[in-house]
Amino acid sequence: MEAFDRAVGYIVTALAYVACAVIPCMFTMIVIDVSMRTVGMNPPLFTSSIVEYALLYVAMFSAPWLVREKGHVAIEAVLTISPPIVRRILALTVYVTCMTASFLFAWFSWQLFIDAVETGQLDIRGVDLPYWAQFLPMFIGFALVGAEFLFYVAGRRHYYSYDLGKVKDSV
Amino acid sequence: MVLEWYWAGTILLGCVMAGMAMGFPVAFTFLITNIIGTCVFVVRNYETFGEFVTEAMNKVPQVVDNAPQLITSFTLSPIPMFILMGSLFFHTGLAIRVFDALDKLLGRIPGRLCYLTIAGGSLFSTLTGSTMANTAMLGSLLVPEMQRRGYSKRMSMGPILGTGGLAMIIPPSSLGVLLASIAGVDVGALLIAGILPGLVLAVLYAGMVTLQLAINPDSAPSYAIEPTTWREKLHQVVVNILPMGLIVFMVIGFIVLGWATPSESASFGVVGVVILAAAFRVFTWESFSTSLVGTIRVVGMVFFILMNSTVFSQLLSLSGASRGLVQWATGFEVAPLVILGVMFVVLIMLGMFMDQVSMMLITVPIFYPIAIQLGYDPVWFSLIVLMALEMSATTPPFGLLLFIMMGMVRGTTLWQVASAAAPFLLCDLVLVGILVVVPGLALYLPSLMGN
Repeated sequence: MEAFDRAVGYIVTALAYVACAVIPCMFTMIVIDVSMRTVGMNPPLFTSSIVEYALLYVAMFSAPWLVREKGHVAIEAVLTISPPIVRRILALTVYVTCMTASFLFAWFSWQLFIDAVETGQLDIRGVDLPYWAQFLPMFIGFALVGAEFLFYVAGRRHYYSYDLGKVKDSV
Repeated sequence: MVLEWYWAGTILLGCVMAGMAMGFPVAFTFLITNIIGTCVFVVRNYETFGEFVTEAMNKVPQVVDNAPQLITSFTLSPIPMFILMGSLFFHTGLAIRVFDALDKLLGRIPGRLCYLTIAGGSLFSTLTGSTMANTAMLGSLLVPEMQRRGYSKRMSMGPILGTGGLAMIIPPSSLGVLLASIAGVDVGALLIAGILPGLVLAVLYAGMVTLQLAINPDSAPSYAIEPTTWREKLHQVVVNILPMGLIVFMVIGFIVLGWATPSESASFGVVGVVILAAAFRVFTWESFSTSLVGTIRVVGMVFFILMNSTVFSQLLSLSGASRGLVQWATGFEVAPLVILGVMFVVLIMLGMFMDQVSMMLITVPIFYPIAIQLGYDPVWFSLIVLMALEMSATTPPFGLLLFIMMGMVRGTTLWQVASAAAPFLLCDLVLVGILVVVPGLALYLPSLMGN
């Protein structure tokens, strides 16, 4: 289990770095696009389509890392006033449900991905993009989110331990 | 079986509320509600449990298929940029330069650190779109200094909590962009609409500080400071404050001049911060990468919630809950202002135990159709919603800004923090009143933009 945990850890951290790298790519593309338009040149047609898909990749590639880092916001008001046994039962219910739902979504994303590849569907945007490109990050992201919750189910980590007073950059 | 709208609404909203109360991460609350909602409202043709499971396995993939719809929208692209701007300001040390400069401008006046909070917070709000970053930065910079100078807890925490929220309405505002995207409101108009009310709010906060000092002068004692010459003050303005105008111009100026759309101008804002940081020789790759990780932490969380909530709005509509609630709410023989008041109170109440993104996702599909039916301008109404969100972030027991402040001022209770914020919440209410009486305060600048 420990080796599996470590291996998944490397993958989710690597994906989080990819998500980080996507953001400078996004603003660079937008700046180039607008600058070209302003000076009267024809900007590339793909900028908006790529940026739109990049937002999905940022969300899906950072999601498993955020589960590991306990970064998905949850309301702990009821948990904190519950007796320890209720807290444990609720936490286990949350872990098992989230893991099952994530694996289910990963499975459906995989099916949609295969279907889109086989039918060669296109997503009509600024430029046409292959429809499967939407479902690939969803499959990877949800599968890893499910795996991360598996570690919580197995008791390797606890989600509800972070200090709300800790300063986190947020919206 | 077709459920009445109120049962449909109860099931969907009940699932979300119950999931959140049980401690499910918000994004997963929506994800699971979507599965349950699909099984209840979409899966129909079955007689046995086996048929139900087969039908559900056919229909639930539609939830996965629809999930990326909202998130793959170009209008959401400014959100990571605005948050990155705030992070870069903080991690490169540019923010501290601005504060030091403002500090030198203020002379030996009573409560100078409170006024510095308001001036610095307003300026920082125009340079970043993050409320939490704003509060965290103001708190970490000023609370220790205020405590060292003998300021009461009330005077040291109150202005920071009030001003921290200014980032929500003064452009650029991440939550403003998010709200506009979800509600289908013109993002540029909403950003510009927040300028004048934001400035009025800053003036109201300054007035509140003055009033509190008049009532209790000992709460913020004067102290001797090294005198600053006019030459030095001018130098500080020219070197450390005026260059920040470049960022304001690149974000707001580009929108007003029509050079870039609001979604595009945010990217120029990031470039502006990088240019300034490089010019001041404070840009490092380490600060850039730390800022990116901080940005991913927030953006990943918000976008994952958004992705999973897209289908929730569709289910609210499909089940007839949204339409039924709108017809019910607008069917009363009461003044539109009363309904507006009720919506405002609902937002504040929700904010007592829910984060702002979740609040938006639950209320926007219901409130906006009602507001439009009542004849309210969507941009103006969005500003009222943002004010409610700002206030809800400072109301116990779940106001996130309160927790941030408790984390910074060790040994404080939630009650102490909340009571310090109360006078500034009153200022927020006064501004809402002004906006109701004088809608032009919000709508004047967007109308110029239209011309």
